[in-house]
Amino acid sequence: MLITIRKTGLCLALTALLAVSLPGAARMLDTRYGTIEIDGTPERVVTLHEGALDAAVALGTTPVAAVATRGGDGVARYMDGRVDDIAIVGTARETHIEAVVAQRPDVILAAATLPESQYRLLSNIAPTVVPKGSNFAPDAWQAHTRLYARALNATDRAEALINNFDTRTAAIATQVPEAAEATLARWMPQGPLVMADIIFASRVLAAAGFTVNDAGVVAEGRPHSDPLSLENLDRIDSDWLFLATLNADGENALAQARSSPGFERLDVVQRDRVVAVDGQLWTSASGPIAANAILDDIAAALDLDRQP
Amino acid sequence: MTGLPLVSVPRNRPRLWLALLSAGLAAACVASLLFGAGSTGPGASLRGLLAWIAGLDAGPDDARARFVVESLRAPRTLIGVLVGAALGAAGALLQAVTRNPLAEPGLLGVSAGSALAVAIAIALGASAATLRVPVAQLGALAGCVAVLAASRVRGVGDDPVRLVLAGAVLSGLLGSLTSMILLFDERTADEIRFWVVGSLAGRRPADIMALLPGLGVALAIVVVIARPLAALALGERVATGLGHRPRTVRLLVIVAVALLVGSATAIAGPIAFVGLVAPFAARLLAGPDIRRTLGLCLPIGALLTVGADIASRLLVRPSELPLGVLTALVGAPVLVAVVRLRRLPGL
Repeated sequence: MLITIRKTGLCLALTALLAVSLPGAARMLDTRYGTIEIDGTPERVVTLHEGALDAAVALGTTPVAAVATRGGDGVARYMDGRVDDIAIVGTARETHIEAVVAQRPDVILAAATLPESQYRLLSNIAPTVVPKGSNFAPDAWQAHTRLYARALNATDRAEALINNFDTRTAAIATQVPEAAEATLARWMPQGPLVMADIIFASRVLAAAGFTVNDAGVVAEGRPHSDPLSLENLDRIDSDWLFLATLNADGENALAQARSSPGFERLDVVQRDRVVAVDGQLWTSASGPIAANAILDDIAAALDLDRQP
Repeated sequence: MTGLPLVSVPRNRPRLWLALLSAGLAAACVASLLFGAGSTGPGASLRGLLAWIAGLDAGPDDARARFVVESLRAPRTLIGVLVGAALGAAGALLQAVTRNPLAEPGLLGVSAGSALAVAIAIALGASAATLRVPVAQLGALAGCVAVLAASRVRGVGDDPVRLVLAGAVLSGLLGSLTSMILLFDERTADEIRFWVVGSLAGRRPADIMALLPGLGVALAIVVVIARPLAALALGERVATGLGHRPRTVRLLVIVAVALLVGSATAIAGPIAFVGLVAPFAARLLAGPDIRRTLGLCLPIGALLTVGADIASRLLVRPSELPLGVLTALVGAPVLVAVVRLRRLPGL
């Protein structure tokens, strides 16, 4: 297998050479830090972003290494059973470069937020795929999955995954009442963090037919608000409330919330439309597998709601 | 009288000051019930307060205001008074027993010891609020013993600033141990991360009840040892000559400080500087006699804590600031002022 990375001028000359030796195999990828070229199907894949791990696994690759989920020391719980022997080479904030080198990767799939200084180091180890555009843009996970798919030589599977998601959300959306509002919050002892309507899970909620209500308390471009004062708990009142914690199961978050004054007074609590969810999945993850897992949660909540 | 204007206030009228401060504290408590980070303004809060006190069944708007006043603001106001008074008294006691005007439970590592004990307990699987109080008190006791041991080391006890340095080292050590536990145990981290910065929000009435035994015992100890402690301020020989036993007095003071700081830390997290500012202000108002300053420290500490808590709700609406941050903003300049006074106020 052959993989090469060069920038512009040199790259073009090399492409011509490779095109002669291996006709049709090389792919040009338009990434945040310029055009890179990948040839063949990479075998040893290192993912430095939860969304990249999710996409790679969904595309049929088993990465050799990944970074830990936010606040945890392994991959997110919703990935349990899919990548059991994976090596951990850092956290969402910090990559352990030496550990990446030790994995002898063929390709590195990184987050859109990877800083240029990190890119320079990593691109010396292996071709490093950094998507363009913010994680918070509309259709970000689809665009990123398509790019990762080109790197992994699995473009057709990416389109199938995205089509499958569109079909599924359309089906769920028919069960969601017109203009139903949903609020996604992470529960903290001092009060809820309201998640922004631009984060991954909020985009999935929106695709499934909900109007995501971030209570007007999230600053522009931020993933979530500061913890709201308990006096402002009524701001998270909505038609539906999806309640998460990062480090424990959702039921624990719900128990904590219920014990705090004012929570039981919320309309959404009285109508029993609070859904306890896993924060690793709902407030940290992204990608096609996560999207489907979130849709599972939504569908289960809607089913439960319809039963008398 | 020196040239410092603050020092020239009349010192011989502690009763007058006590009355004035108590009135100020009462006003702060009312303000604490009327102002908050939410949309319930002072006018609506007043109606809610009246509905609560008079037991009226008002309209839905008033019912909401009543809930905010009764269930959210009243508990935190009460906790603010208890925590502030406890920390103020603990500061005065610790300063008297170490004969150091900079001795402060937060600065010397007593609160850090308390926090570490709670972190260990939660990491080992405890989470009941009832267990937290004795654990925090034990941790505070360990911190107190360490402080007193440091103050007996030659050269440290005589120099107030050195003792604070020793305390800073101890606080740093205990704080990093707490951080280490948080790093390894996610569940502990989430439960404690917020508690470590100090807050009065979201506590339940049951949590307040759990504090009362410790505070009651501490109060009893304070009543008994105020006089011997004042004698001790004149020197160990004088105290012994007057029939007191310095060793026993010191031991009792440590127990009282541990009970006070442990109770306050258990419910509100480690809150620094209240124990420094309250005795400092009390000495300015009433002179150095511990029997006078202790009484004044209670309303001053409470006033400071309730005032800081009100500010914590109003500065970053609709969120709240950690209480510990605000007390530090007030307290750090006072620390610098005390250190810069050429002659430290005698103890």
